[in-house]
Amino acid sequence: MIIEIETQGGFGGIASAALNKTIDVDQQAEPVRQELCDAFEPDELARLASKPCGDCADRMTYHITVTEDGHESSFTLHEQQLPPEMLDLIDQV
Amino acid sequence: MCFTLNCSDHHPINCIVPPYMLRVLALRGDARTAEMAKTLLKQTEKLRDERAELNRAGLPPAELLSGNYASRAVSPAEDICCSDRRIHDGEHKAALPGKLIRSEGDPATGIADADTAYDAAGQVFSMYAEEYGRNSLDGEGMPLIATVHHRRDYNNAFWNGDQMAYGTGDGKIFQTFLELSVIGHEMSHGVIQFSGGLIYENQSGALNESIADVFGSLALQRALAQEAHEADWLVGKGILGPGIKGVALRSMKAPGTAYADDLLGQDPQPWHMDGFVSTSDDNGGVHINSGIPNHAFYLFCNYLGGKAWEVPGRIWYRALQTLNNPMASFSDWADQTMDAAIELTGRGSIESVMLRRAWKLVGIAI
Repeated sequence: MIIEIETQGGFGGIASAALNKTIDVDQQAEPVRQELCDAFEPDELARLASKPCGDCADRMTYHITVTEDGHESSFTLHEQQLPPEMLDLIDQV
Repeated sequence: MCFTLNCSDHHPINCIVPPYMLRVLALRGDARTAEMAKTLLKQTEKLRDERAELNRAGLPPAELLSGNYASRAVSPAEDICCSDRRIHDGEHKAALPGKLIRSEGDPATGIADADTAYDAAGQVFSMYAEEYGRNSLDGEGMPLIATVHHRRDYNNAFWNGDQMAYGTGDGKIFQTFLELSVIGHEMSHGVIQFSGGLIYENQSGALNESIADVFGSLALQRALAQEAHEADWLVGKGILGPGIKGVALRSMKAPGTAYADDLLGQDPQPWHMDGFVSTSDDNGGVHINSGIPNHAFYLFCNYLGGKAWEVPGRIWYRALQTLNNPMASFSDWADQTMDAAIELTGRGSIESVMLRRAWKLVGIAI
């Protein structure tokens, strides 16, 4: 499972300040590996993307692509749609 | 929304149908609608003249305005007392608000970011209270909740609808977000939200950004007791990383010149409608095209001279409180500021003449 994360927006709106991260989940040690699998499971991302967005001033937008067994799923989520535990996981890896 | 001319639940004059909308209805409506629109326009003009007489001192009028998007905070609050600051340490995690480390009246923590967030929130609260008669962000005394040390190496600061949050930056592109114009910017997003809001995309989103920049800059100028010609009109001065070639994140005086760096590229902000950027990125370029109304405000303040948070700030604040149009375009906003200028300084005043000139110079005719 490969997870690609790109962000845009934020207070500065500066593209080069954005996050650009590719995670090879199979290369991660447990328990992070399982946490990533659970958090970035496409059905879960689809559920999060359907949540109300709320106020978006200066928040970042996340473009997340998950590739597994040759199948690619892409999602666009606002920062406030992502649970804090998932954001911590993104910062940690 | 209060968009019907009958305004059955309100006194017609207090029903905030924007004048531009009335003018369209007067031209295009059926006979009955057109007649009512013309009547309302006449009443509105008469009311504005009366208000202008009453408000020569530049203070907001005492009566409340109605309409779903008109702010309850448009009239000065009667019992503004004290701020209620609550500063939290996010401990580099994403959960908000984090651990409470300083409440109102507590001594300094010794944590630089927390104490800066506390002091700056007090300065922004004071500006809104003392200059514009507003009791906190919602006009009703809401606590000022902020989180410092939000997430790890986080290159951002934001208002989430309930509170402010500030990252530390990664030390390379950003080295801090705890700077008064930035804090004023984020708190002003709260004011905008509770003033009827501006939808955060395209031109209305760029206006949301611009108004946040305006009041962030005014908070800084007021704290430094600077007149318009003395201010640098920079937003986020000193927050870029030490190796970045740039002085700030944005310049209201010269949009497009805040930075020019191999890593960041060139500051993309235009100052004129000829440079308006059409893009789907960044919610339709909200942080880019805000340079245009930012520059109009800068020009207006410098034409008038003096303290920008006084008459110019009151006009912008008044315009925000009476906007009643969450999807406003730059042109709508320019009209709104002119309406506010006439209300506060009178028709034909030097302020209204200079305001028209400022908008014209950035390519927006009113």
